[in-house]
Amino acid sequence: MKTIKLTPTSKHRNWLVFPVALVLLCITSCDSFVEVELPKSQLTTVTVFDEYATAEGALTDVYSKIRDQGLLTGTSAGLSYQLANYTDEFTCYSAPGGPALPFYFNTLLPANTSISSYWNSSYNQIFSANAVMEGVQKSAKLSVKQKEQLTGEALFIRALLHFYLTNLYGEIPYILTTDYQSNTTVKKNTVNEVYTQVISDLDTAINLLSQQYDGPERIRPNQFVAKSLLARVYLYDGAWAEAANASSAVLNATNFYFLENAISTVFLKNSKEAIWQLQPATAGKNTDEAASFIFLSGPPTMVALSDNLINSFTSSDLRKSNWTKAVSKGSDIWHHPYKYKAFNPTAASVEYSIVFRLSEQYLIRAEARAQQGDLIGAKEDLNKIRKRAGLNETTAVTQPEILNAVLQERRWELFTEYGHRFFDLKRFGKIDSVLSATKAGWNSTDVLFPLPQNELSVNPNLRPQNNGY
Amino acid sequence: MKNISFYKGGSAFWYLILFGFSLSYTPAPAKTILRQLQSQPQQSQISGTITDATSPLPGVTISIKGKATSGAISDVNGKYTLTASPNDIVVFSFMGFKTITIPLNGRSVLDIQMQEDATALQEVKINAGYYSVKESERTGSIARITASAIETQPVTNVLAAMQGRMAGVSIIQTTGVPGGGFDIKIRGQNSIRTDGNSPLYIIDGVPYATDPIGYNQTASTFPSVTSPLNSINPASIESIEVLKDADATAIYGSKGANGVVLITTKRGKSGKTTVNVKSTTGVGTVTKFMKLMNTEEYLAMRRQAFSNDRITTYPQSAYDVNGTWDQNRYTDWQKEFIGGTAQFNDVQGVLSGGSNKTQFLLSSTYHTETTVFPSDFIYKKGGAQFNMNHSSEDNKFKFTFSTGYNLQNNDQPAFDLTASSRSLAPNAPALYNEDGKLNWENGTWQNPLRFMVAKFKSKTNDLVSNAVISYEIFPAVVLKSNFGFTDLRHTETRTSPSTIYNPSFNLTSSNSSIYFNTTNRQSWIIEPQLNWEKELGTSKIGVLLGGTFQNQNTTRLYQFGSGFTSNSLLYDLASATTARVLFSDDAQYKYQAFFGRINYNWNERYLFNFTGRRDGSSRFGPGKQFATFGAIGMAWLFSKENFLKENSWLSFGKLRASYGTTGNDQIGDYQFLNTYTSTGILYDSNVGLQPSRLFNPNFGWEINKKLEAAIEAGFFNDRLFLTAAWYQNRSSNQLVGIPLPGTTGFQTLQANLDATVENAGWEFTLRTVNFSTKNFNWTTNLNLTFAQNKLLRYPGLETSTNSQKYRIGQPLNIELLYEYTGIDPQKGVYQFKDINSDGAITFPNDKQTAVDLNPQYFGGIQNQLSYKNWKLDFLFQFVKQEKRNYTIGFAGQMTNQPARMADSWQQLGDDATEQIYTTGANSAAVTASSLYNQSTGILTDASFIRLKNIALSYDLPLVIQNTKCQIIFQGQNLLTLSSYKDGDPEFITAGFLPPLKIITAGIQLTF
Repeated sequence: MKTIKLTPTSKHRNWLVFPVALVLLCITSCDSFVEVELPKSQLTTVTVFDEYATAEGALTDVYSKIRDQGLLTGTSAGLSYQLANYTDEFTCYSAPGGPALPFYFNTLLPANTSISSYWNSSYNQIFSANAVMEGVQKSAKLSVKQKEQLTGEALFIRALLHFYLTNLYGEIPYILTTDYQSNTTVKKNTVNEVYTQVISDLDTAINLLSQQYDGPERIRPNQFVAKSLLARVYLYDGAWAEAANASSAVLNATNFYFLENAISTVFLKNSKEAIWQLQPATAGKNTDEAASFIFLSGPPTMVALSDNLINSFTSSDLRKSNWTKAVSKGSDIWHHPYKYKAFNPTAASVEYSIVFRLSEQYLIRAEARAQQGDLIGAKEDLNKIRKRAGLNETTAVTQPEILNAVLQERRWELFTEYGHRFFDLKRFGKIDSVLSATKAGWNSTDVLFPLPQNELSVNPNLRPQNNGY
Repeated sequence: MKNISFYKGGSAFWYLILFGFSLSYTPAPAKTILRQLQSQPQQSQISGTITDATSPLPGVTISIKGKATSGAISDVNGKYTLTASPNDIVVFSFMGFKTITIPLNGRSVLDIQMQEDATALQEVKINAGYYSVKESERTGSIARITASAIETQPVTNVLAAMQGRMAGVSIIQTTGVPGGGFDIKIRGQNSIRTDGNSPLYIIDGVPYATDPIGYNQTASTFPSVTSPLNSINPASIESIEVLKDADATAIYGSKGANGVVLITTKRGKSGKTTVNVKSTTGVGTVTKFMKLMNTEEYLAMRRQAFSNDRITTYPQSAYDVNGTWDQNRYTDWQKEFIGGTAQFNDVQGVLSGGSNKTQFLLSSTYHTETTVFPSDFIYKKGGAQFNMNHSSEDNKFKFTFSTGYNLQNNDQPAFDLTASSRSLAPNAPALYNEDGKLNWENGTWQNPLRFMVAKFKSKTNDLVSNAVISYEIFPAVVLKSNFGFTDLRHTETRTSPSTIYNPSFNLTSSNSSIYFNTTNRQSWIIEPQLNWEKELGTSKIGVLLGGTFQNQNTTRLYQFGSGFTSNSLLYDLASATTARVLFSDDAQYKYQAFFGRINYNWNERYLFNFTGRRDGSSRFGPGKQFATFGAIGMAWLFSKENFLKENSWLSFGKLRASYGTTGNDQIGDYQFLNTYTSTGILYDSNVGLQPSRLFNPNFGWEINKKLEAAIEAGFFNDRLFLTAAWYQNRSSNQLVGIPLPGTTGFQTLQANLDATVENAGWEFTLRTVNFSTKNFNWTTNLNLTFAQNKLLRYPGLETSTNSQKYRIGQPLNIELLYEYTGIDPQKGVYQFKDINSDGAITFPNDKQTAVDLNPQYFGGIQNQLSYKNWKLDFLFQFVKQEKRNYTIGFAGQMTNQPARMADSWQQLGDDATEQIYTTGANSAAVTASSLYNQSTGILTDASFIRLKNIALSYDLPLVIQNTKCQIIFQGQNLLTLSSYKDGDPEFITAGFLPPLKIITAGIQLTF
């Protein structure tokens, strides 16, 4: 190859000024030209945690996400809906290919998109909670009180989501940081390890959170919300005394909470039995539960309450008459959940989704007391719920009878709320016997969801897959 | 401007003509051209007719040797007039014909018969972006199509016009719905990112951003969100050049990695003012339906499924078999939903003309296209193009201005009915009641036609404008600057009115909702350049230096409204009871570069081309913004060597090679920032803020090294012309969204991946002039591409997040699949190879069979025939590939199935091709069906040969002066030969409307 020399002759020297000038122009103006300003919809992370309002925005966005997507959403993608299909609460009428069918038939596969979206959205929400904790910690401008409030709530979110994940997927990683490098190769924690960390996070949160709600509504977790979760965690963990203690702490806060007398007001906004509610996205909007459960004419095109559940209610049970509704066509009759009744938007929202409510705390304490041998105390709590539902006091006498009565009561009280039925059957060790009687596709390995196939693909430390998948 | 070729100072005349003729032909450089004009005292008018032996030849350039200022162009009847002196030498030149040089010798009438010259194609000026180069002297790899090929096709998308016509360019239509998209890959997938492989588009020197303008909530009709490429009007295009190798693309530096598509619009020509009007009309239908079960087969399947699942009482919701629906009904839903006929109408008008110093062109088009869906939907596209060229009397100052404005108005159903047409039970109820209203059959089905009232509407206004000013400041030194401006305004809506629901639900307009997407993009570019060319004895040297300053602003506004008092107010966001801004963003992209080229031509035999560029992009963080790219290209025209000069059979021979680097910055804006983004969603009166992404500021430029060697040879006076090119592109330091486990909170991280991807292949083109006689001409063009994509290096792949995605030595888009082994004779379910012999089919250990779904080879054969006034042009496109069969869930549920599913396993000892039917209760069968979809069993040969395009035209023999009338018949996708059974074999995502088979007829008038 030849080298070409570009030696300018004297004739050409004068015009060489131009390219040289051009080069200089480019070089001198380079650095500043390609600097751009922040887009108007973004704030740097440092700025976000310089001000309480924006730091709160980073936190409250997690509640919006919890409401709209993932495990706890009231839409047809959430656990309330899908675990009702998975167990014996719903009969599914969905058209073929619908996302509810693999739940209804208990044929979940590792590549199922609902399975991966539960996983991914939960860990995304956990990331945001961890990011809030880290941002708050580094912030030089927030007050100690503000820091405690934000950190306490973020810890609660982290504990809540990990708790659900471990009950659905079994062994899962507990994520404590936003560092993607360590989170990429993270290993699974045993269920015990997860419970230990959940309890530790909740204890810290309880210390940081105040008893008062942040604002007039019950939409931000306070100390009692964390205690309510803690009571449930201890119950699932079989720590009966701790469960009873934690639920007592909530039940004793009678200046905040008491059972609504009228069964029809339980699910209203600011219901006195609501411990934590999710605020709808816009003023006038009501719950996603109402929109996804209610159908106005038969036959249903998505889901209806199963005959098994409907027929189990005593005829005098107010919950059947008030919390379910019949739709008929000719001689056919179907029922849908009617806890949330506001199907259409209203001038101001009348109903908020309730994630934690007082009835559950009574039932937690009833079960915990029964397990500890306090049968009288157990029946007392159980009868509170029965009485409000218009039922007579329980006829259960022995400990197993009372425990069975609690399980039965939980079914009637908590149906289509965040998958209580599924977790209760698991805890009581009755899931195989109960579900294989009504569900042709039920296998004993269905007590755990499959781990999302893509997760096993990108992080081998999450292998092996759960049994049966 | 790209079409100006900078020749020696004295040949200024030529580039005046070149202004008007991007396809212009330049005669072999005449070294005796006078540098200065001499005064010619005795001027007289000369005239004549130019023919090509059979018919008059319009558009021939007539010039006078040594006089840059005079010249003419023959009109439609081949006639010309020119002012000349008696002793002048007149030159007649026209692309594709031998140049004729005749001394006038005092004559006043000069009739010329021109002869076709196959070699002339070597003289064509090729647009290489910042410069142009003669085809024979090109050192880089550039493929090209011109208006003559584009105009034969009844298509509205520029990529459709390129399909099957260029070696190394793979184009796939993703949907047959008008306004939908195409997927293009030039020399394979370089980047692991699926969205970082688009080439750079440049229209008349102005970069045209092709980042999507759609929004997934609004553009639900298409498999991918709306692309702005539909705005480009093929009718306004004079030529498309695709730059492929390092030599051609390195001058585009960071944007050149995936190739460059240069679009040159039509230019005004000097001569008589002409008007050209063309009108076509036509019809389109779906190319191919899928073979599905009929009612009898379907109901037999359903009954068998229940019996297999031991369900004796049909459930209430099994309307198809439990007697609710008529079991004697049969409807071919494909015919009902996508079997309609789309109407095509197209009108074009062009007005052009001008003097030697100033030319203009004004064109306008209007196109409408309905759909094959069973309702009135229409796509409208209209536009105008204006071009003006001017040069000063002394030819030192030149000015070019081009502007194109295109409007699209699309009205489509919000959902493509193709998937429904395949899955709906064949005995599903009638679509309409007797009163003409939608039939809901007592609420037992969701009538798919309900989606016809949910609409996707879009409006796109697109302006691309450029101006080039140049001045010859010293002899052979030209200073010029290119100024460009683009303005794209796009709005999209998707409605979900309450009328899509069964009226018995009593839903009112308070349940209606609408999504809005408003995306606007403005950009400007300024590119000052300096060009110098010099002859040094037998060699020539050319130097180009330039700079780029580019700024682009994209604003996006996504809105949602729900709850309306009336459905007729649905498009009025102010009438919504709930109106929300979902996203509001203003992204700025700034780009700056300095580039140069040195070209050295020794003795017209040895050519060296050095190009380089230093780029800065705002898409990278501080300290990572700048990078340098460069390439060297060389060519040896061995046919000009003395030992071959007189060779009787070899008419042209060239060896060329190039090596260099290019980059890729298609990663989106602001990715290096650690920010929170507003979600616009209130909770507890706080506006939500979410972490925008995982924060990684340390990513830098991706490097793409390209190597190419090619031979070009012409035989028998170029009647047979062959090119063979071998290329090898290696991308390293890949900038990708590295997949992350969900436990990190996100699915990807923007980072450089320490991996190398190689795209290598062979590209062949062959042009043969089979017949070239007085009345009959026949030319054949063949292009053929063999491409291989390979992951060369990936340290730590086994432990990386990509361990189940890639394999060293295999293509990037392999799929790891289970190995299908047949039906389990005992249980009747699909079986797979248990690779790790653990007794179960598990992921990932048993899902390890790597399958390459890239096309093995593809290409096209084009034939152009002309006989007297008749012209016939047809193109066959062929692709050798494997694809997935189309599946509709597991067989036995309430969905129709491909006809082949009728052969299912029923009892022990059955030798069936498909597994046992189930209604969903047989968990083993459901699982096996899902695994089957991830197994080798699902793959099938989807190679095809397609009569992509056919065009027949006839020139009416008219007696009227200066008038031409042509009748045109065109067809697209008329015939497809393929063994693929599940619809059309051309798709990216299955289940969308296939490409249409289009037939049009038209008439073109020129006067």
